[in-house]
Amino acid sequence: MIKTLKISFALKNTYRVNGILHSLKQIPLLKRLLPDALYGVWGLKIFAEVLSVLWALCKVFLGKFLYILLMVWGAGMLYENLETGRVFLHILLCLTVIGSYANTALFNPSRDKYYAMILMRMDAREYTLVNYTCSLLGAAVGFLPFTLCFGLLAGLPLWLCFLLPFSVSGCKLTAAAYSLWDYERSGKVYNENKLGRVEWLCTALLLGCAYGLPAAGGVLPGAVSAGALLAAIPAGFFSIRRIYSFGEYREVNRQLLAQSVNQTENLKYTAKTANEKKISADTSITSDKKGFEYLNELFIKRHRRILWSPAEKISGICAFLFFGAVLLLYLKPELKPVVNELILSWLPWLTFILYTINRGTGFTQALFMNCDHSLLTYSFYKQPGFVLKLFRIRLREIIKINAVPALVIGWGLALLLFVSGGTPQVLNYVVLVVSVLCMSIFFSIHYLTIYYLLQPYTAGTELKGGTYRLVSILTYLGCYYLMQIRMPTLVFGGVSIVFCVLYSILACILVYRLAPKTFRLRA
Amino acid sequence: MNFVIEHLSKHFEKKEVLRDITFTFRAGRIYGLLGRNGAGKTTLFNCINRDIRADGGAFFMETETGRREIKPEDIGYVLSTPTVPEFLTGREFLKFFLDINGKSIPNPKSPEEYFDYMSIAPEDRDRLLKDYSHGMKNKMQMLVNIIAQPNLLLLDEPLTSLDVVVAEEMKQMLRSLKENRIILFSTHIMDLALDLCDEIVLLNHGELEAVEKQHLNAGEFREKIIEALREEEHD
Repeated sequence: MIKTLKISFALKNTYRVNGILHSLKQIPLLKRLLPDALYGVWGLKIFAEVLSVLWALCKVFLGKFLYILLMVWGAGMLYENLETGRVFLHILLCLTVIGSYANTALFNPSRDKYYAMILMRMDAREYTLVNYTCSLLGAAVGFLPFTLCFGLLAGLPLWLCFLLPFSVSGCKLTAAAYSLWDYERSGKVYNENKLGRVEWLCTALLLGCAYGLPAAGGVLPGAVSAGALLAAIPAGFFSIRRIYSFGEYREVNRQLLAQSVNQTENLKYTAKTANEKKISADTSITSDKKGFEYLNELFIKRHRRILWSPAEKISGICAFLFFGAVLLLYLKPELKPVVNELILSWLPWLTFILYTINRGTGFTQALFMNCDHSLLTYSFYKQPGFVLKLFRIRLREIIKINAVPALVIGWGLALLLFVSGGTPQVLNYVVLVVSVLCMSIFFSIHYLTIYYLLQPYTAGTELKGGTYRLVSILTYLGCYYLMQIRMPTLVFGGVSIVFCVLYSILACILVYRLAPKTFRLRA
Repeated sequence: MNFVIEHLSKHFEKKEVLRDITFTFRAGRIYGLLGRNGAGKTTLFNCINRDIRADGGAFFMETETGRREIKPEDIGYVLSTPTVPEFLTGREFLKFFLDINGKSIPNPKSPEEYFDYMSIAPEDRDRLLKDYSHGMKNKMQMLVNIIAQPNLLLLDEPLTSLDVVVAEEMKQMLRSLKENRIILFSTHIMDLALDLCDEIVLLNHGELEAVEKQHLNAGEFREKIIEALREEEHD
């Protein structure tokens, strides 16, 4: 037992340490400084090991702390005119029931299980039981300080706060015993990462009970919640026997791990197969163009589902929302000044919205996985003239796709501005439409440019480019930062138009200069 | 025509994969490139195909009129795992390729003729490439690479996973193609190398070295190759 515990801890630690070292190696500047043999460097290993232990501690305590603080106690405080202790128990009960089947530890197809039981052929029953015991004890220990602290704050008696963590474990044990019994009966293995329809429905209902009912004033009596939670403790004890005597852990784990795709070796190919599945098999799709236009047209048509359809859906939703907003203004005219004010000063927000609805990353990912990944191995495809020709065609396509929702949003805002009382400056309308369109063009060019200049994928279709990731993060932060800015629409719109035009010109020059050299498969 | 490599070197961090390689390959011959696992065969091909940048050195074509740079269209590169654009059908891929390269292909044929030449069945020609089997993808890849009639054909273990019939067809085809061009064929299978190739070149410890056959019989030649690969391992 002790030996299994030691081995499994060492195993988990090793791959966490290697994981940390691997991610250090992904940071652009550090990459150069770190040696390739870093997995053998003693000092680094100690450093990563410290991080790893800290992480394990965080998982035991920090997670539980945040859970109780935000989801149970904090959420309970929102219902001001209800009794705190009663709400606390009510929410905790509902969430604990969800956790009992959605977070079992026993039926989680995690990677360490795959390594230990499949690759290294450890004894499945022993490995499972040892790890399960650890995770249950961890949960109880992790919960105890916070149920005590927040439970007492909520006005619960000390003895109850002390028993609550064991109720949580008891609930988990009971659910696990039921799932094992269900396996013996039906042969079906429960997988907590692939919840079925019933489980999702239960989750929705329970969440509704947890947070919806109190809002309507309905809270379970304290005695009922406490009783149900306490009843889980003897139920848990009773279940331990079943879990301990269950004899088919090997079979259960084999099935569980086979179900989940994360068979590590296959992991890097799943992105590729997932993308391949998005190719339309419609045989009526043809093209009468020639050369690269032919290639492009077939690509766009066969990837409609991931390129045009989302853009159309977003446009539809936006149009619907604008229609709703206009209707609202008609029904409640007193809102008009507020909306008018919003449109005239909150334009920076739109950058973030356009960022989130942009199809740029989806487009370049599909381009790589389903097209460039293979064609880049042919030398004719890499001739500078052809690279640039295809860049032009693709730029046109991505701009077209992104422009549809942008136009809907631009015109929708202009309409809303007009309906909400208008503005004496007609230029505002023009700036709204043009700047939204410009921003969408900016994102289109931006994503395609960084794809051509930094081509981040490897031949094995992994995302490897550190610089690419950094640029993506910076893009996100930039857009996020813009949300904080309040500026008259006219000023922000004007500035963004100028910026987008300049950026686009610069990006195109860079691509023309550099892409023939940078647009390659990564080794 | 010769394909000449001069002082080519490449290292990854501290590991020297290619060490100042200088070698001349002559047209009309099939070269079998043998090396231990991880010896750098694919790295060598990737450098020649400019998929990765070499640290130093040069390679060029040497013709009667003198030396010239290698152009992308000089090279055909067939990978061990066939890569074809999955969203096209076989026919569409071929049409696209012919559209693009129409001008540079000497006496082009119709797609049907090419398919027949490669023995790709009529019912498969209009299927999406993602639904092709491994062997069929391989055939498509080979076809596109030889239509353009490149002067230098790089083959990275291309026959390893083909069924016996297709492998035999491919072998025949490579023999028929070797006229006027250089074929560089990397493999782990000694029999295949001895059967197909005119010359055996070893890549070992980052260096290229031709193995002279001289008057040795098949068995002795085989011994010599194994010995050479093993010996250098213990240097």
